[in-house]
Amino acid sequence: MSDSTNKTPDGNWTPRIVAFFCNWCTYTAADLAGVSRMKYASNIRVIRLMCSGRVDPQFVVDAFAKGADGVLIGGCHPNDCHYVEGNYKCLRRYQMLKRMIADMGIEPDRLRLEWISAAEGEKVRRVVNEMVETVKQLGPLGIPAKFEQWDKEMNALAEHVAASQGAGAPGSSGQNKPQTAQTAHV
Amino acid sequence: MNIMETRKNEPVRIGFYVCHCGVNIAHMVDVEAVAKYVATLPNVVVSRNYKYMCSDPGQEMIQKDIREQRLNRVVVAACSPLLHEHTFRGATEAGGLNPFYFQMVNIREHNSWVHTDRLEATRKAMALARAAIQRVPHHKPLEVKKVPINPDVLIVGGGIAGIHAAITMANAGKKVYLVEKEPSIGGHMAMFDKTFPTLDCAMCVLSPKMATVGSHPNITLWTYSEVVKVDGYVGNFKVTVRRKPRYIIEDLCTGCQECVANCVYKEPKFPDAFNLGLGKRKPVYMPFAQAIPSIAIIDPEVCLNFKRGKNPDGSYTVSDKCKKLCVVACGDRKAIDFSQKAEDKEITVGTIIMATGFKTFDPRRTPYYGYGVYPNVYTALELERVINASGPTEGHLVMRNGKEPKRVAIVHCVGSRDENTNRWCSRVCCLYSLKLAHLILEHTDAEVYNFYIDMRTPGKSMEEFYNRVAEEGMHLVRGRVADVYPDPNDTASGRLIVQAEDTLTNRILKIPVDMVVLSVGLEPRPEAEDLRRLFNLSCSSEGWFLERHPKLAPVSTFTDGIFLAGCCQGPKDIPDSVAQAGAAAAEAFSLIDKGYVEQEPNTAFVLAEECSGCKSCIPLCPYTAISFNEETKKAFINEALCKGCGTCVAACPSGSIVQNLFEDQEIFSEIDGVLAPLPQ
Amino acid sequence: MAGVAEAAVVDRTTTLQTLLNTPAGKRMITCIQCGTCAGTCPYGDYMEFSPRLVINMLRRGFIDEVIKSDSLLRCVACYACTAKCPRNIRLTDVLLPLVKEQVLMNNTQMPAEFQKSLENMHRYGNPMGESPRKRTAWTATAGVKVPLIAEVKREVDVLWFVECYTSFYARGQDNSRATAKLFAALGVDFAILGNDEKCAGECGQMTWESGLFESLAEYNMKLFGKYKFRRIVTGDAHAFNAFRFRYPMYGLTQPVEHTTQFFARHLEQLKPKLKKPLNMVVTYHDPCCLGRAVGCYEDPRALLQAIPGVKLVEMVHNRVNAVCCGGGGGGMWLDTYYKQKGMDRLSERRVKEAIATGADVLAVACPYEVSRFEDALKVVPHDKPMVVRDVVELLAESIG
Repeated sequence: MSDSTNKTPDGNWTPRIVAFFCNWCTYTAADLAGVSRMKYASNIRVIRLMCSGRVDPQFVVDAFAKGADGVLIGGCHPNDCHYVEGNYKCLRRYQMLKRMIADMGIEPDRLRLEWISAAEGEKVRRVVNEMVETVKQLGPLGIPAKFEQWDKEMNALAEHVAASQGAGAPGSSGQNKPQTAQTAHV
Repeated sequence: MNIMETRKNEPVRIGFYVCHCGVNIAHMVDVEAVAKYVATLPNVVVSRNYKYMCSDPGQEMIQKDIREQRLNRVVVAACSPLLHEHTFRGATEAGGLNPFYFQMVNIREHNSWVHTDRLEATRKAMALARAAIQRVPHHKPLEVKKVPINPDVLIVGGGIAGIHAAITMANAGKKVYLVEKEPSIGGHMAMFDKTFPTLDCAMCVLSPKMATVGSHPNITLWTYSEVVKVDGYVGNFKVTVRRKPRYIIEDLCTGCQECVANCVYKEPKFPDAFNLGLGKRKPVYMPFAQAIPSIAIIDPEVCLNFKRGKNPDGSYTVSDKCKKLCVVACGDRKAIDFSQKAEDKEITVGTIIMATGFKTFDPRRTPYYGYGVYPNVYTALELERVINASGPTEGHLVMRNGKEPKRVAIVHCVGSRDENTNRWCSRVCCLYSLKLAHLILEHTDAEVYNFYIDMRTPGKSMEEFYNRVAEEGMHLVRGRVADVYPDPNDTASGRLIVQAEDTLTNRILKIPVDMVVLSVGLEPRPEAEDLRRLFNLSCSSEGWFLERHPKLAPVSTFTDGIFLAGCCQGPKDIPDSVAQAGAAAAEAFSLIDKGYVEQEPNTAFVLAEECSGCKSCIPLCPYTAISFNEETKKAFINEALCKGCGTCVAACPSGSIVQNLFEDQEIFSEIDGVLAPLPQ
Repeated sequence: MAGVAEAAVVDRTTTLQTLLNTPAGKRMITCIQCGTCAGTCPYGDYMEFSPRLVINMLRRGFIDEVIKSDSLLRCVACYACTAKCPRNIRLTDVLLPLVKEQVLMNNTQMPAEFQKSLENMHRYGNPMGESPRKRTAWTATAGVKVPLIAEVKREVDVLWFVECYTSFYARGQDNSRATAKLFAALGVDFAILGNDEKCAGECGQMTWESGLFESLAEYNMKLFGKYKFRRIVTGDAHAFNAFRFRYPMYGLTQPVEHTTQFFARHLEQLKPKLKKPLNMVVTYHDPCCLGRAVGCYEDPRALLQAIPGVKLVEMVHNRVNAVCCGGGGGGMWLDTYYKQKGMDRLSERRVKEAIATGADVLAVACPYEVSRFEDALKVVPHDKPMVVRDVVELLAESIG
């Protein structure tokens, strides 16, 4: 399990943002930002998908579970999707996810969807910088640390139950580990 | 492939290569530290850094390692996969592996070029590399699918670029559909008088090419037509072209123009678009003398045989009020048909060349130059018509008041290099301004002033041209004109004062002139945005069609099979437009002559044993690639129709759809990889 | 809101030394030396250092030479250079005031008329040196009740900032009376600051006296803080400019409107009340601080055209191209100085254009212009009589 916060070598926390960019618009826009030598925050880790429609809500939840402090999704503008309407499908899932993560206790601002066309290198810079600022304001999310804490509590509880039931009880606690986020999707 | 079979059960052995890209990456990313870090990761057998991975030695290094170190996965951290993924897949294949055992990490465009803290950039590179290292073990061998390509080509726009591309392709035996919005091909070039730097007559060089297009057996020319629908993809585009009614049956019209001569309007009365409203035409007219096709057209807005005004659907109603002397004149040819309706034609082509051109800047947006207010202020394009022998004044340089100008000011950079209008340099204005200055001197005894900011004359023979024209004797003033207004001391003559700072003498000049010529810039056509959507292209923020790569793929677009030629991609002169048209044609050939297009094998498939038959995926697919097998109660994806977006994969509740190259497990591994803790 | 965003290009502490590091200064680095600024400058002919040259001298580190010259005393802050600059360089309200301030500090002899006005502003809160207690005297003849914000003791919709010329000068008071009448006719919930009001200080800022501006702005901001109001409306284009661009740096958050903008926004309600036809040909002069500075060209014209009987004609130079009356940036008090230097008066240049239109009325929307153009008409010969009227005066006349 990864540590909950991303520390720079000097020990300061800095956010980690996982981005899912569609191949045709936003990934290309990020390439353009590069070619144009625009400078933006280095906290972003881009994962390339063919279409924002490929963004499985599980990817987003998994990224938070593994220690992302924010998740950014980038797709083509409405009516401009390379695959006709994948971006609309993404929008629907995004709206669902926004409500869902709020229920899970994650600030909805940690998730952002942006339409960025291949020509909008400048927008990549702006959105990434804004996103990093927003997440910095919100502070570390630290879900993996919480998992560890919960695992500890569950283990302690299990041991406690096992101890109170006596050592000979069937289905001994050893194999009965609580499920963690890492095992959730395998 | 056989090698792979034998290696199937071998443990994963990854080779990792991080590229310096000269200093492009290495100056911001500590490539040695990245290589050292990756070497510690599981499954990594080789981890190297090298100056130029895309060079031959770089690629050979990969191949050698595959053979000698028995690698079965390759990861390269270098530039964007959109640039070199293909290269390294090739190297991987050449080393004896399936090319899809390769994964690329973008640490240039997404890292070294956009970040400023070397330590942070290095850590980011490590995280991205780790994601790829964790991803590749899940890669499967895949096969590139080959789809046959339709050899026909569609060219949109019949200016010089479209004409040149059409002839090039047609001469090579390809069937070409050339679609032009206006009633004749020729575009802007047909309106010019002479061309720089050679000063040959524009129409003299253009009209033979126009005639070739008109008569070429391999070219289907559809003028006064517009593309209204585009479906399909490279190799197999289905295009609908709307042929607007010109009320003349093309096959029957001989171009004799007797209808024009006999029209009930004895004199031309309506502004003539080709001459920019400086001349007049009748309701039935020939667009211009050398028009191709040489076929008349009727303007239903003004023809007496139509009711005034458009119907809501864009059509016109016949009034039958006219004596129809045109029909009488046409006689047996029976070419006039007032009941003609718009007609949609469906064609299938394998490739498309966009050559939709530009429009000139409307100088009303810089009101201080007085265009549209003072009659003696002209655009450069208007002057081209005035000076042209077949123009409204038959080549006599006279102003709207019929007088010859004694002094002319040419104002550069109108609607160019200006944050308030267009930011770009339009590239051709300095040179065409010099050309117009030369023509004015040739036609009149006038004194000519050129007001410029910077004289930009790049290109072969252009500086020499500048030198030659300057020698002819004209005033070259370095200063942008700030104001044009009527001479307060002489309000009757229409004389104007042109006011500018002569920045090289530090003086404010107020030059009285008879005629002002505005060297208007080039800008994207107003319909470019609609075309962009129709053809699924990208536009730059200015509105020009975006090329795939500014240097390495200047005529390709992000949509495979669609290429760009001429000014729709950005301002350029005639030689460059023609060169680009040739390049676009060559790109189209290379696709067509290969005979097939390779499709990225990123399609999706259903794991039948896991499919619950819920049908959630079926309505999501915009290509109707997913069907439902009523017998087995399972969904099925037609690989030939699937475009590989992965939308259905993300939606499948039972996780039983897999997208090649973007499998769930591959993405989850990447997420895990980018978030894994890094060494301090 | 526009003011807040634009204020971000430069802040209060910017100096000539730090300018090139600000967003506004970065634009100056991009200057292509095209000379549009100099070519359009109404006094470009008389400048040893044209605005273009000033930028380059700054970039090359030779700005001291510019400061030694009195070139920039000729700048009337008319925004012509800024409005046409192809690189969007803020000359009028960023670069030139910073240079002018230094010019003034280096200039041993300041023109007397000008010095007097600055002193008056400092001492009395108005440039003419009138007693602050007389500021509201005009309200007695307003014909309608003009509420004082201190007395209404509640939030008002419109805080009407009357300003100096429109409070103290007879012809300015015509403007104020007209505005009050229009407010009353429209049933606007408004109030004025009364005798506590002091000059907004725009001329101080634009001319070189940033210290004077600062003290006036801080005074007025403190005053604003005492009351609740939703917007500021002023008939003085210069005050409008200060509120829009400078005051947000001092914390002003309420939107600001010029009276012509406010009335244009209420034109539908106003139209039925404009009953009395004024059968006259009118030409409209765009005030720099309303026109080029903000791009508000059409509102005043829409108001004029709503008046029955008015025929609007345009001067040769109109809208973005209008010729300044010469009163901005301290020009109001530099006429003698300009005359000494052999410079023509811009107000005369402008009325010549107005006369050429054959109009009966020269309509204006800035209180400086009334006196400047009326004076100019006295010296420029013209056959047909011409009067100068503020747009609001014409509106008030039409509602009878």
